[in-house]
Amino acid sequence: MNHSFDRYAGIVFGAIGIFFMAGSSTISSSAYGSSIGANIFPLFLGGCLLLLSAKLIYDTFRKERAASAKASLDYKRFGIIFIAAVLYALLLESAGFVITTFLFLLIGFQTMQKGRLAASILIAACFSYGIYYLYVHVLDGSLPGFPAWLGLS
Amino acid sequence: MSTIDYLLHGLATAMQWHNLLFVFFGVLIGTVVGVLPGIGPMSGVALLIPITATMTSGLSPEEAATSSIILLAGVYYGAMYGGSTTSILLNTPGESSSVVTTLDGYQMAKQGRAGAALAIAAIGSFAAGIISLIGLIFLARPLSAVAIKFGPAEYFSLMILGLLAISGLAGKSMLKSLIMTAFGLLLATIGIDSVSGVERFTFGVPELYQGLEFLTVAVGLFAVGEVFKTILEKDSSEGEMAKINRILPTKQDMKDSAAPIARGSVLGFFIGLLPGAGAILASFFAYIMEKKISKNPEQFGKGAIAGVAAPESANNAASGGAMIPLLSLGIPSSGTTAILMGAFIMYNVQPGPLLFQDHPQLAWGVIASMFVGNLMLLILNLPLVRIFAKVIQTPAKYLIPLIIVFSVFGVYAVQYSTFDLLLVMGCGLAGYFLAKNDFPLAPLVLGLILGPMMENNMRRALTISNGDFMIFLEKPVSLLFLFIGLLWVTIPLVLKLKGRKVLINEEA
Repeated sequence: MNHSFDRYAGIVFGAIGIFFMAGSSTISSSAYGSSIGANIFPLFLGGCLLLLSAKLIYDTFRKERAASAKASLDYKRFGIIFIAAVLYALLLESAGFVITTFLFLLIGFQTMQKGRLAASILIAACFSYGIYYLYVHVLDGSLPGFPAWLGLS
Repeated sequence: MSTIDYLLHGLATAMQWHNLLFVFFGVLIGTVVGVLPGIGPMSGVALLIPITATMTSGLSPEEAATSSIILLAGVYYGAMYGGSTTSILLNTPGESSSVVTTLDGYQMAKQGRAGAALAIAAIGSFAAGIISLIGLIFLARPLSAVAIKFGPAEYFSLMILGLLAISGLAGKSMLKSLIMTAFGLLLATIGIDSVSGVERFTFGVPELYQGLEFLTVAVGLFAVGEVFKTILEKDSSEGEMAKINRILPTKQDMKDSAAPIARGSVLGFFIGLLPGAGAILASFFAYIMEKKISKNPEQFGKGAIAGVAAPESANNAASGGAMIPLLSLGIPSSGTTAILMGAFIMYNVQPGPLLFQDHPQLAWGVIASMFVGNLMLLILNLPLVRIFAKVIQTPAKYLIPLIIVFSVFGVYAVQYSTFDLLLVMGCGLAGYFLAKNDFPLAPLVLGLILGPMMENNMRRALTISNGDFMIFLEKPVSLLFLFIGLLWVTIPLVLKLKGRKVLINEEA
């Protein structure tokens, strides 16, 4: 168990609790003659969350223990895939599903394990166009297609 | 109409050819999901919701809902079947409820009895599926007949009980699961308030007006979070795969496992009924019970067939049992049923006491489809077990990026918004770090789904009582629920103080 994470998480959750409590004070407190408005529920829960996180923070101080040995984490690989995934999400609408999916899969495959480029390209191409074709042409769903400037429609 | 009539009508619905197809795909995908270590039943169901939504777009709303739920329920119990395959062959459970199966299953595989173990697991799962369905048929309607008399105060307290029960059993720390529950409930308040129409915590961001979509959050937390974990921790378990020689169990195997299957099924079913207990606890208890009853307990852990039969039956029976509170009370008792409930709500079907009156076709169609699905699973699993075993060898290299693509595709196909895609990535990141530090994720999703219902019932009750909170204590049924909820949270605490080891449910 990682106590410093718990402590920070406690602080963050506590802050969220306070934030919701403060936010609910700006919400109207009555609706249609009922004395119970839209603010009660978040106000009450915010309070609960604050109390619970206070207890969590208190516990981390009470049970101070040696940090366990950390497993080595592959931050580089994760960073590349995470950034690629965020870019994928951002560009999906403008560059279309097929192109972004193909690029993301290619980057993903190669980051997970270098080499066998041809196989990666083939699988990425099959999946990106395959999902698009199945979903849009067979199932009549809707996905962003190819960008207009490609002239493929 | 009597229950039997309803069931026959349901069977007619389930036997329509497109529904047969849906059951088939559901159980097939479910088995694959159960076999693949990266995705569990929760992310599997969440990822398939958008796809089923498109597949059923040509049907009428009620039929579409029926077919989709049939498929999604198939994924749920199919995953319970699939999970045993990896436990037995690789000693790595495909999903958390087959952890116990590894104890004896892998030992059996090492002795060259992998085929028998797999077959017994499949037969046990089938028997359990049927037993829990019979329970479902007989319990669901009476239970909803009682639940229909509940007023808002009773409902609110019942939901409190459900949430407390799940928090009490989920994860290693009850405090952390309570925090996650409260956080999930708070997230549910974002958006336009359905009672008074005021906006809450939206800061004028248009995407937030409709609230955080549960599908987005669930896919992010479970599917993407799990993928991030695999990438970061490089947990590529290259285990030695056991060979499958002969598939059909011997007569002696069948004789040895008949009683454990029956006991495991009944026990699992009742544990599945309890909110928060779920499949993991069911399989643990079934294993422990068999060990206690057995004439030669020293066999357990060395390849006793009862040690495979009982827990595998129990976890399947529990997944059937868990459908009862969902269908008849509208209260999910585990993470996966919470996601199923989200699917119901997406189709504008409110699970709960009125379900059997308002949508008999759906309710009984789904129940009958579970009969069909279990039969299909048995037929599929016995001859195809070798093929499913091959699925395990799908290289993580290709699997990981593909799961991200399916998550993005699934969320975009329903939400059509870049905001939700970014939310998926954010939830994935949060899900990874929270789960890594023992913050259970299921209570958060549960809170997110139950939040609006809970708030509406609370406000209705308080409007009736003119703002007096005592209404929750004055109604006897409501008081009872709150009291049980309190016990559920305090008893484990007391036991812990006494130094007893408390069994917990890691999937919840």
